[in-house]
Amino acid sequence: MGKILEQYYGELVDITLRSLYVSGVATLLAFSWSIFIAYFLASRERVEIISSIIESLVGMPTVVLGLLLYFLFSRSGPLGVLNLLYTPSAIIIGESILVTPIIVSASFRVLRAALQTYGEFALSIGATRIQTMCLVFRESYPGIIAAIIMAFSRAIGELGVAFMVGGNIKGYTRVLTTAIALGVSKGEFESSILLGLILLSIMIITSVSLKIISRLYRI
Amino acid sequence: MRKGLSRSSLIMYVISIILVAVASGAIGYYMSKSASSGGFTGPTYTYTLTRTHTQVYTEVSTTHYTKTISSISTLYTNYPPPPSTEIRIVISTTTSLYATGLLDYLASEFNKIYPNVKINFVAVGTGAALKIAEKGDACAVFVHAPNLEQEYINKGVIEYGRIIAYNFFIIVGPLDDPARVRDTPNVVEAFKRIYEAGEKGQAIFISRGDNSGTHVKELSIWNKTGLNPRGRPWYKEAGAGMDQVLVMTNELKAYTLSDIGTYLKFKKEGRLPNVEQLFAKGADLINIYSTYLVKSCPENIKIYAKAFLDFVYNNQKQLIGTFGVAEYGAPLFNPAIDKEKELACMWLEIARGG
Repeated sequence: MGKILEQYYGELVDITLRSLYVSGVATLLAFSWSIFIAYFLASRERVEIISSIIESLVGMPTVVLGLLLYFLFSRSGPLGVLNLLYTPSAIIIGESILVTPIIVSASFRVLRAALQTYGEFALSIGATRIQTMCLVFRESYPGIIAAIIMAFSRAIGELGVAFMVGGNIKGYTRVLTTAIALGVSKGEFESSILLGLILLSIMIITSVSLKIISRLYRI
Repeated sequence: MRKGLSRSSLIMYVISIILVAVASGAIGYYMSKSASSGGFTGPTYTYTLTRTHTQVYTEVSTTHYTKTISSISTLYTNYPPPPSTEIRIVISTTTSLYATGLLDYLASEFNKIYPNVKINFVAVGTGAALKIAEKGDACAVFVHAPNLEQEYINKGVIEYGRIIAYNFFIIVGPLDDPARVRDTPNVVEAFKRIYEAGEKGQAIFISRGDNSGTHVKELSIWNKTGLNPRGRPWYKEAGAGMDQVLVMTNELKAYTLSDIGTYLKFKKEGRLPNVEQLFAKGADLINIYSTYLVKSCPENIKIYAKAFLDFVYNNQKQLIGTFGVAEYGAPLFNPAIDKEKELACMWLEIARGG
């Protein structure tokens, strides 16, 4: 293992950092709009159909999304002029779309619970809509953070989008999952295992954090 | 109060983990990016981006490069000056060229002259590589399936085709060779024997099944035998790259058609203990690699894509002919430049023959 580490060290670090960067930015980007979608849904009645559609999209197959985005970003596609295909930005956009349903559906529940508990009360004592929103966010933030961590794990562990719109270009769009797939196809199992361990430990760290939070706060 | 404190500190801990992870990722990413775009620093010379084309030319012809690339002085005059801003060229390519490491090597040599031109290889099968070109997502292609190439030339997708290298396809199979492929006179006969052995349950054949150059070649050989193995239980379509199919062949002790470059690399690395090269004879099995420019590529990128293809073409002997000699004992690919006419004839024959 030591020899492999030495041989691939630079590339391993590069790939790992790129993975963290791409999935981290994608998650934060997705969070920035998902949280408002979730609040909008939570504050409305009779949204069961919409929320169940969003819940079903949680398990969206990444290859299907990747393929759709490929057609969208392709030079002959509608967004071809933006020159996004085979760039890290394309992966970021793809992953942020991928994790949006996760953040929306997970935070929808905690926001609805918080709204039922505090919403009416806050309004009845004269809080404005914005103040109510702030209060509800403050009361449900452990759940929202859990949703973010879930989304991050999903983003960093997905392969389809990163492969199809990223192209697995060495030193540019190669992330942990695509590097593992390439290593397996090349028969270089040792480096794949090493990358797999890195990916697993990143995911375990995030999910352990998730567990601690949900046990403490019974989300 | 104490519970509240621990709650908020825990939340802060989690948030800080995420923030640190993202921030370090971002910083590391940009550092690696800026480091790689800073220009080439070699043992004998250093390029910066402000040097003019003539300066680089004299430097190239007086140092290091005269040893490795002797013909460059006559050719460099036709090359465009290095760009002042970073240019990214996407090249879609067959997996066999990429997996051997040849393309990364070519790109790194090219970057010694054009440090600002970043070449991004998307390694897929030949069929997919041409499809990507048709959609306008690649500026150049490296492929090896003449009949597919002809189709896309006719469609007007690719132009400026040139043969850069060739080697041979080989039949790889188990050491005990149940189908007796070793002593066959020609490849068609060899495939017939594999078919017979397969029907008897003695042999497995793994097909690439991914519309790649090797797959196209394999299908054309089956076509010549007049037999149709599709759907037979011993005929497995993997839908994977050459590298993965060789690994599978080794695991299942099966037969497959491979290009010799990928096979030699894997054999040398000791990844194929159960299989070996059984048949490698005749012009029937020639494997011709060509490069093309994609017509729909934007003009400002195209000139550098063309420069890269010219660079590869003009320095075949020095770059392709020597690649892998030190490591594998023999070159993985043969430069095409001396046999260009013969190869062009063979290319045409395959392109017509389908």
